[in-house]
Amino acid sequence: MLKLRESQNLMALAGIVLLAILISPVASDGSRIFLQVGNLTDILRQISLIGIVSLGMTLVILTGGIDLSVGSTLALSSSLMAMGLTRAWPGSGYAAHMLYAIAAATLAGGLAGAVNGAAIAGLEIQPFIVTLATMIGIRGLAKWLTNNANIDIGFGRDVAAQFAAAFRQKSLVIGSYAALAAVFWLLLSRTVFGRHVRAIGDNETAARYAGLPIRRVKIVVYALSGLLAGFAGVLYAAGNQQGNPNAGVAYELDAIAAVVIGGTRLSGGKGSIAGTIVGTLIMGVLTNMLRLGNVDSNVEMMVKAVIIVLAVAVQRQRRMD
Amino acid sequence: MPELLRAEGISKRYGGVHALKNASLALHAGEAHALVGENGAGKSTLAKILAGAVRADAGSILIDGKPASIRNPVDAQRLGIGIIYQELDLFPHLTIGENIVVGNLNFPEGAWVDFRKVDAFCRPFLDRVGLRRDSRQMVAELPIGQAQLVALARALSMRARVILMDEPTSSLAEDAAERLFQTIRELKQSGVSIVYVSHKMDEIFRVCDRATVLRDGETVDTLELPKTTPGALVRMMVSGLDVGQVGNLRGGWQPPRGPIANRPAGFQPAPLLSVTNLTTRKLRGVSFDLRAGQVLGIAGLVGAGRSELGAALFGLDRVHAGAIRLRGIPVRLRSPAAAIRHGIGLVPEDRKRQGLMMDMSVLENGAMASRSVERERRALEPLFRQLSLHCPSYSAPVGWLSGGNQQKTLLARWLLVNPDILFMDDPARGIDVGAKQDIYRIVAELAAAGKGVLLASSELPELLRCCHRILVLADGRVAATYTAAEATPERIMAAATGAHTC
Repeated sequence: MLKLRESQNLMALAGIVLLAILISPVASDGSRIFLQVGNLTDILRQISLIGIVSLGMTLVILTGGIDLSVGSTLALSSSLMAMGLTRAWPGSGYAAHMLYAIAAATLAGGLAGAVNGAAIAGLEIQPFIVTLATMIGIRGLAKWLTNNANIDIGFGRDVAAQFAAAFRQKSLVIGSYAALAAVFWLLLSRTVFGRHVRAIGDNETAARYAGLPIRRVKIVVYALSGLLAGFAGVLYAAGNQQGNPNAGVAYELDAIAAVVIGGTRLSGGKGSIAGTIVGTLIMGVLTNMLRLGNVDSNVEMMVKAVIIVLAVAVQRQRRMD
Repeated sequence: MPELLRAEGISKRYGGVHALKNASLALHAGEAHALVGENGAGKSTLAKILAGAVRADAGSILIDGKPASIRNPVDAQRLGIGIIYQELDLFPHLTIGENIVVGNLNFPEGAWVDFRKVDAFCRPFLDRVGLRRDSRQMVAELPIGQAQLVALARALSMRARVILMDEPTSSLAEDAAERLFQTIRELKQSGVSIVYVSHKMDEIFRVCDRATVLRDGETVDTLELPKTTPGALVRMMVSGLDVGQVGNLRGGWQPPRGPIANRPAGFQPAPLLSVTNLTTRKLRGVSFDLRAGQVLGIAGLVGAGRSELGAALFGLDRVHAGAIRLRGIPVRLRSPAAAIRHGIGLVPEDRKRQGLMMDMSVLENGAMASRSVERERRALEPLFRQLSLHCPSYSAPVGWLSGGNQQKTLLARWLLVNPDILFMDDPARGIDVGAKQDIYRIVAELAAAGKGVLLASSELPELLRCCHRILVLADGRVAATYTAAEATPERIMAAATGAHTC
């Protein structure tokens, strides 16, 4: 059952895709470059990282919170990934070594998120402030651990190169995003946990009166957000062949934009994973369209700004009807 | 009938105000028991304590004769106490079914949602309350009356033995209310007890077996309803209210004589404010006149439209129909700024939320509706003294002050603006007796100076002492208008509760 809100988002996406097809440059064989399989899969790969981060962001925003620390968490995780591959577990086999490093980098992200959640739920500090602090602190940690230097991987024949080669394949990156999107869609719409997430953001007083485990749900939601940012950091390290403590700057803002364009209310309670996926796709197709048209990247930012305001204005209009 | 629940010696204070003082309630199995009293008598607080939403400071609760401890809503649910709140505590963006099962101890769920199981669980309860809707529909899509039925279905599904209903018909259409009464009768037959918090006398006498009357947080008496009358019940709610206590004003105050009273009969200047057929989202065809030098009281129960009248006159609520005339000239008030330009001021009901900037200084708050702080400083200080406003320093945050001094700061804001018409919404609520006297004195002085004052209040003695005329609102309409000579607590309450029509 497709809800009205999502079908309208889909129509916006269809409109932008149609526009992209129309203004796409034409290749020498007469086909439109936008529609070439290589270009379409490029779009999907490019949105995957933000896409994965925005899945967690959707849950956080649904509870009425915000997570500004995901960009820093991604940088920490990519750094830990590169360090794990180049400096830890020297004796283990390739497969085990890769697995350890991935697990360590991802779990570090989850831990960072759990710290966010504990401070928000336990100390009752506003999510904006807590995650602003961890945004700064985690970035510092990543820089300190790496001496503020990129750690290159993927040049040579060692485990790091093998990891990068495997985890930067389009199919794996897009496949991870698709699988995680499916899991989080189920989590939010088909589990009791997902219902509690939506209920808390919808009416926290009623949630308390109904005896819901508000603190536990919040801690888990922020931990999941961190976990996803951590995994996105793993993919970042492979894709860029380096651990980078300066990676992911402003990713949190792109993720929030995707969630909001997808129709999730910033005050919580109302929204969906499907909407966020559509919002992410809208941003991705738009970027691709403008780049194919050789539009200045500064103009690209201005166009995105207009799209964000338009999307939310249209949703607000609908609510008032 | 066996006794199901007994609450004894229940007390609850909010700050310095006693919401409940040693209140008690005894509930038989299978009865519908009305809980009645004036605004602020403590009905809702008592219901919330029984439901675990509020913790009592003192008192004991017995269920089936055994002591019970209700510390939170889950405890109440385990003990079989369900509640339907007036301010619907539902989740608008969850489905009907999800609203019924969320946190419901009678519906054990694993990790996964099974909408068919949810639907099967909810169906009998939805049928019972007569809500013919798909349980997968979102509550936000329902009209408010149907949302209330979801709350009732939720309480039923918890297999509650006691269901507390706080003004359950306030947003129900007539047929839905009829079905609610039928459901209550069926529940009684199956041994469930209902605590029915309401102001509507006709409903209470139709549905309930007994009634407990609260006054000023204390239980006055419990009556067998068939053996009494609406009039007697209303008298019990208001009698003993000490009218004189409020009236001991310093120097006393009399309705102003002088120029206005001395005008020859027949000479009628256009009233300062004339409202005809005023209709907003809440008001329905309200008409009245306010003359210079007059204090017009606005009485009515919670939700009758007192504050909404202020909102309409102050440009906050859109006026759907009707006219507002100032000295005979029609005006359209589209914003508070426009209202202020036309000489109308509003002292709002909730001074913390609607009135003051709590972290800003007394001076800044006083000057808030004027142009400049510096220029007004010299004008404000005499006003503060005139109001006997006590504070360590006029530069101190207004949040540090007592409620009474906060209210005086708010009043000073308007005295500085000096409007012709001042709407004061419950200005003496939650403040100490001395500050109340000061505020009543200012009301009298404003009237004596030829201003028009609208005084909305939930305290009848206050209205009876301060006002020349009293307008009683009920359900957004003018139910009655009394002159100071005609008005009595009984008459006002009867008009406000609709008891005089049944």
